[in-house]
Formats: sequence, structure tokens, C-alpha cells
Amino acid sequence: MLIAAVLLPMALGAILPLFRFRREGARSLYIMLSVLATSALMLPLVFTGAPGRETLFQITETLPIAFKLDGAGRVFAGIVSMLWPLATLYGLEYMQKDARKYTFFAFYIITYGVTLGIACASNLITLYLFYELLTLITLPLIMHGGSTRNIRAGLKYLYYSIGGAALVFIGLVYVIYYGGSTEFVYGGLGAMTMGATAGSLRIGYMICFLGFGVKAAIFPLHTWLIEAAVAPTPVTALLHAVAVVKSGVFAIIRATWFIFGPALLRGTYAQHIPLALASITIVYGCTMALKEQNIKRSLAYSTVSNLSYCILGALLLTEGGLRSSLMHMVYHAVIKITLFLCAGMYLKKGIVYSQDMRGVHRATPEVSAIYLLGALSLTGLPPLLGFLSKWMLATSAIQQGSRLALVGVAALTISAVLTFFYLVLPGLTTYMGKPERAYAYRELSPGWKALAPLAVLSVIILVLSFWSAPIGSFFAYAAAGGL
Amino acid sequence: MNGFLMLLAVVLPLVTGLLVAFVPQVNAERKTRCTLVGASLLLQCAIVVAIAFGGESMVVLLHLNDALPLALRNDQMGVIFALVMTAMWTVSVFFSFSYMSHEKNEKTYYTFYMLTLGALTALCFAATLVTMYLFFEAVTLLSLALVLHERSKEAVAAAIKYLIYSVAGATLGLMGIFFLVPNLTSPYFVLGGALNLENLTITPDMLLVVLFLALLGFSTKAGMFPMHGWLPTAHPVAPSPASAVLSGVITKAGVVCVIRTIYYAIGPDFLRGTWVQLALLSLATITVFMGSMMALYEKHLKKRLAFSSVSQVSYILCGVYLLDRTALAGSFLHVVFHALIKDGLFLCAGAIIFKTGLTYVDQLKGLGRKMPITFWCFTICSLGLIGIPPTGGFISKWYIAEGAIAGMTGSPVPLFTWLVPVILLLSALLTAGYLMPISIHAFFSPLQEDLRLPSGASLETASDPGRMMTVPLMLLAGAVLVLGTFPGLLINIFNALTALLV
Repeated sequence: MLIAAVLLPMALGAILPLFRFRREGARSLYIMLSVLATSALMLPLVFTGAPGRETLFQITETLPIAFKLDGAGRVFAGIVSMLWPLATLYGLEYMQKDARKYTFFAFYIITYGVTLGIACASNLITLYLFYELLTLITLPLIMHGGSTRNIRAGLKYLYYSIGGAALVFIGLVYVIYYGGSTEFVYGGLGAMTMGATAGSLRIGYMICFLGFGVKAAIFPLHTWLIEAAVAPTPVTALLHAVAVVKSGVFAIIRATWFIFGPALLRGTYAQHIPLALASITIVYGCTMALKEQNIKRSLAYSTVSNLSYCILGALLLTEGGLRSSLMHMVYHAVIKITLFLCAGMYLKKGIVYSQDMRGVHRATPEVSAIYLLGALSLTGLPPLLGFLSKWMLATSAIQQGSRLALVGVAALTISAVLTFFYLVLPGLTTYMGKPERAYAYRELSPGWKALAPLAVLSVIILVLSFWSAPIGSFFAYAAAGGL
Repeated sequence: MNGFLMLLAVVLPLVTGLLVAFVPQVNAERKTRCTLVGASLLLQCAIVVAIAFGGESMVVLLHLNDALPLALRNDQMGVIFALVMTAMWTVSVFFSFSYMSHEKNEKTYYTFYMLTLGALTALCFAATLVTMYLFFEAVTLLSLALVLHERSKEAVAAAIKYLIYSVAGATLGLMGIFFLVPNLTSPYFVLGGALNLENLTITPDMLLVVLFLALLGFSTKAGMFPMHGWLPTAHPVAPSPASAVLSGVITKAGVVCVIRTIYYAIGPDFLRGTWVQLALLSLATITVFMGSMMALYEKHLKKRLAFSSVSQVSYILCGVYLLDRTALAGSFLHVVFHALIKDGLFLCAGAIIFKTGLTYVDQLKGLGRKMPITFWCFTICSLGLIGIPPTGGFISKWYIAEGAIAGMTGSPVPLFTWLVPVILLLSALLTAGYLMPISIHAFFSPLQEDLRLPSGASLETASDPGRMMTVPLMLLAGAVLVLGTFPGLLINIFNALTALLV
């Protein structure tokens, strides 16, 4: 089943350009159905769990390309398969007038499969394979506009990612050489420490961490993400707030908790350096987001900051930390995609900079309200969902109690203030002051294909805010290594 | 039953606000809207009084997770603050009815006026730190609309300044809550505090640093130096009845949070004699003096009153940070009296603006004979603020000073035993210096013949405003006199409460 869920969208996407549809609608339907079919295949597995391991093929006898779905994988696969149909529906409206939209959607669907491959990877080699594939397959999506800026952003993304992957490859060699197996085991590969001194393994971990850190946008490896904000909004919203960047975070969680293991890293420089980097990135991302006037670039900086929340949580190396990391991964994904989709709707109507948002709520009442909801959630106004993940993160850090963890809490605090000002304040200004020109009531309101995903997302935000017990206990279960 | 009433007290203003915002029929005529808002506030008063006489009960709104409930409880302190706030809100709203007729955006005004009261009531009844934080932020966001009312460049700048300070303060508070909650024995507020001293997850020194920052953060709303900068900018730009509640009531939101954090979460014993207590006490004392000095040099009447709030709310904080039973009772008394007095003074300023449009203190010479009721009320409130018996301010300052002597005896820095009373006295002199000349000139100086009103009319035509505005003024001035002369009931209530806390 897992193999089917991974390969189906890749196949369906690849053959999309071959078909000659008579009508626009039929092709849109094909796109929607292929995404929905994949989600329909994946979501039951996410909710019930899929026991067992499915091997696609063997590279060598000891290196299989294989899939399994454990707790952490279910979390990531769950976000991806919930959000992909929503973003695709939105994309159908957003890309309506684009001449090359079907090439775009072909790659968009393939990316779905590749991301699921990362979520369901059962060992590091499989993860690495799909991770590299993700770089290549998303490159055309970034370059889609075809302008010099798009090309430049795409190339930058390529260089950074390939560089990161090269580091990961070195790390992978460490794991294969010392560990023998690259299989993900909760708590790390116990066998590894026999073959090598702990010191050299920590070097291997740091190389891996920095490699995966590119996609997770750790300062100073984050610049590609900001440039990539020139991509069409369905790409920035889904890939650069959820799929690609969360792959980086997810891979770091895998490397930390399932390959090298917290016992190896705890209390050493291999924990301290990542923690420090995460704290720096949290503050840096927020500061830059406040400075940046372009709405999408500002949101991209905000993503940089929030990804490091997850890394901070994972690198606390406590169960509570991992739990809050997974929680923030999900909550941030839901909120940030909402914000990006709103920003896309503004962008479509020529509102590019945050000062242009002043007073536009009459022109797009729905988008303004949803944007404000998202902004307040990410800032962490209780009981909205961003609060709980920040709370868990802060309390886990305090319980862990090391000096760097407390610095992390301070970083969270600074970041919360800054988030308010780069996110909530523009959201509030849509309700204040006079817009640049007089808009008619609902003049800028988007069509149903864009509004429906926004509505669903805001319902998800509200439901998770007020009824978080089940998902909360699932995070605890996943963080304890449950399947 | 009481739990239901408490929810009603939170929901009723919210619903009224939303009705004003979204039901066109309510706004068709000014009279309909005023009737609705007025009736809802009177009902709110009745509900809060009923809660005060009922037993204590707790309502859990939501479990964020197992250890993190959002809950409301009508404990004694919550009821005291809710009563003060609702009463001030009701008095000011009747003043607003005629005052706001010469302002624009009345609908927005009443919407956010009511929503803010809902959030404030919930803040008073909050039973956990996180609930308190939630409604603290909500009060900031909702009262923002009141500051922003004029929509002028000045108002927008003031609103943003207000927002920056408040959010920064609230987030510092939140950081404190992050550190506190894992170290408390109960997620709910406990009389006298519930710090789990045996199993602190961080060192006590670390905790002290965090608590200092948190209390500093919450004190932002109360305008304590060095976080006071927003207050003199933000309060005067709002319409006068809104300035009245901003200065008289919303500043107390900060006081609520500080009291809850110290006396219901940490426990005063943990802080007593530490550098945190001394630092906060020093800051509060500096603010008391500094606010008065700045008020003395300020010529704009509403700004002068705002600076006076900076000083006076720090009297309350002084009493709270002394960690002494008597001083805390004094703080509670000053919460009541400062609310009454500052509400009254701002409404007087509003009445002057409404009738003449004058905003600077040196323009008010001789006006007392033209507007006797307004200026008599102004004078009574001024006397109260200075602390001349038998008006209200005297008794509260007396208690705080007495508490300083009792509470700081035996502290590592005995300086405070005499410094606090001396500063309080000095500041009272300064208060006289910035308030009395206004009354004296209004009654005894001749009118400024050459001064033209903004409307073009002569000062000769000025008169007291209508009954809708003078009655609230007289009620407030009367309350200052009556409660100042017979403070026994209040003192008994507050002494009983503070005996449980310290």
C-alpha cells in the first residue's frame, strides 16, 4: 500500500502531459482526482497505522529501498496528504491564466509522491534518494515563471540543495560504514557505537545535520528559501512552508532520533551547536521578517524562524521536546499555508507589500479575516493552536534545563513579540485606515476554488485549537517511538 | 448558578458589542444604540453585584492539554476588580452618550467599548496564569480601537506605540508564565501562592531573573518606569470617556496581573527581601515621583492627567511590591479611589472639551464660574488625588505608607522604610502643584477675553454641559467624598482579603 501511495502520484503526474484533453475542465478534474486518489490511499494508513515494511527493490543486499510508516512518519505523511488536495484546488484557480500550467501541475503531482516517499522512508538511503529527487523535481516549479529572477532563484536552490545533499551523502557513508544498516530505529542504531568511537560518529552527525539543515533553512543556509518566494504561490505555500522545508526538519528528526540517537549526542557539541544555531535562526528569521516589506518574502523569513522552533524541540533530546517539535511541525504547516494562500490572493490583486494591505478588508472580507486568524494563531494567542506548540516547546526546554535550552526560551519570547508585529499588525491594518484606492465591496474576493481551501484550513485551525486532546496524545505517542 | 452568572458577565458585553457591530437596526438611530448599550451595562452591574454576593465557583472553559486549563473563578479579588471596572464603565458610558455625539465613528466606539469590558471582566475572573495572559492580550487588542478612534496620524502613531509596549510587556509576562507553570503545585491560582519550592526545575536565582522580567512586563500596562512611555501618548488621544476608562480602569489590568502573579502564583515569601522586590519597588517609587514631575511640566490637560496616572498607578504597584498586608490593603483602596478620581478628572476634561474645545490648562482661567459643576467636581477629585482628608486618596496613601514602614523594617535595605513614605509625600505635594492651580485659576482668575474658542464663539457663552454629563461627574465626585469619609466597609473587606494573601 505504501509503495502504491508513493508511486501512484509520480506515475499520474508523469503521464499528465501525454493526454490531450478536449476541455479545460476535464484536465483540471484529472489533476484533482489524481491528488485526491493519493490522499484517499494515504490518509487511512495515516489514521490506522500501517504495520510492516515494504521493500521496493534492493540496491545491494544490505541497502534496500523500503517503506514503513511509524509515528513520526505518520505525522509528516498526515500533514502532506491533508494539505496537498487543498493547495492543488487553490492552484487550479491561481494558475488559471498561466500558459504552461499543465507542465506545472505535472511536476506538482509528482512532488506529492516524492514527499510521501520521504515521509514513508524506512531507512536513511531511501530517505536520501527521495530527498535528492525532491530537489530535482521541484526545481522546474521554482523556475516556472521563466523570468531572470525565477531562474536565479532556481539555480540558487539547486546549488544549496545539491551542496546539502552532498554533505548528507558523506553522513550516509558514515552510517553505512559504522552502522552496517541504515534502518530507522527509535533511539538510534545501538550497533553503531561498536564499530566507531563516539567522537567520529558525532562528526558524522554534524555533517548530516548541516546537510539537512539546508532544506530546513538554518541560518546561514537559509537564503535560497527567501529567493524562492518568487515562485507561484501554490509552490511557496505548499512546498516552501510545508513539503520541502518540513522534509528538511523531518530528515533532521530522523537523523537525530532514529539514526545517531539522543544518547550519543546528549550534552556534547553535537547537541550544543545545533541548539545555538536554532536559537539564532529563530531570532534572525523574525527580525528579517519584520524588516521585509514584501508579504511573501516576509512570510518566508517567518518560515525560517518557525522551522528552527521544530529543530530546537527535536534537539532538546527529550521526549517532550520531540513531541513539541512534531506538534509545531503540524501546526505551523497548517497556519503558514493558510497565510501564504491569503498572501497569494492579495498578490493576485496587486497587493505585494504589507503597507498596501491597509484598509482592504472591505474588498476581501474573507481573506482578511482568515489572514488575521492565521496571524493570531502563529503568534500564539491562546487558545489558538500556535500557542500550545510554543507552550510545549518552552516548557520542555525549561524542564530540560540546560543553559542553551533556556536561551532558546528567550529566543521564543523575542520571536513571539516580533511575530506579532510582522504578522498581526499588517493583519490589523487591513481593518484600519484607508486603502490606496477606493475598492468596491468584495471587489478583490477570489473564486470558490481559492476560498474553499481557505475555509477548510480555517476550520482545521479552529477545530485543532479547541479540541486538541486526541492529536495531542498522538504526538506524545509518536514522540515515544510508537508506531 | 454563580458560574453561569460569571459566564454571563463575560458574554453579555461581548454580545452587546457584536450586536452594535453587526446588526444594522441597532445603529439606525443613536437612541436605540444608546439604550441597548446603557441597558446592557446596567444589567452587567446587577450581574456583577449578584456574583459578589454569591458563593465562589469555577468554570473550566477549555483544556488546552491536561495540565493547561482555561478557567474562570469568581474569587474575592476578581469580584473586587470586576465591580470597580463595571461601575466605572457604566458611569463613563452615560457620559459618552452625549459626549460622543460630536465625534465620528460612534458605532466602532461602542463596539470596542463593550468588547473591552468583556475581556476585562474575564481577566478579573481568570483562574489560571494562561487564562490571565489570554485576556490580558485581548484587552490590549480590543482597547487599541479606542486609542485609534480619531484615525488621525497622531492617533495611529499613538496606537502603534501602545501596541509595541503592550505586546512586548505581555510577552515578557508570557515568558514568566512559561517558567512558572511547571514549578507550581496547582495550575489554578492559590491564595498566598503555590510555588513548588522542593522541586524547582531551574535554580532559584534563574527564577528570580525571569520573575523580574515577567513582573516588569505586566507592569507595562500599569505604566511603570521604564515601560511607561506609551501611556502619556496613548491615553490623551482617545475620546475623553475612553481616556477615562483607559487611565482609570485599563491600567489596573496590569495591577491585576501583578497581584495574581505575586500573591496567587509565586507567593510573597519567595520574593520578600530579594533583589527583585527591591528593584521593582525602586522602579515603582521612581515612577511615582517622575510621573508627578512630568505632570507638573505638562501644559496639555489630558496629557497632564495621563502623567498623573503614571504616578498614581505606581502608588498601587508600590503597595503591591512592599509585600506587606497593610500596604496591599492600601493598594486595593487606591485601585478603587484612583479609578473613581481619574475617571472623574478625565470626564471633567471631556466636559470642558465638549463645551469649549479647550485643551490647555492655561486657557481655563475663569472658566470655573461659567462651568461650576464641572469645576467643583474637578476640584473634589483633585483633592482626592492629592490625598487631603476626608477625600478618598488620603486613606489609601496612608495605608501604603504605614505598610512601607511595617513591611520594610528588617529588610536588607532599611532605606525603603522612610524613603517610600517620603516619596509618597513629595509626590502628593507635586500633585497639589499640578492640579490645584487649575481649580484656583478657574474660580479666581478673570476670563481670558482675547481667547477665542475653536468654534469661534466667545468664552462668555460657555456653560455646564447637560445632565447626561454632569450627573456622572457628580456621582464620581460624590463617591470620592462618601467613600473617603466612610471607608470602613472597604477597609474591612480588603483587610480580610490581604490577611489571606500575605
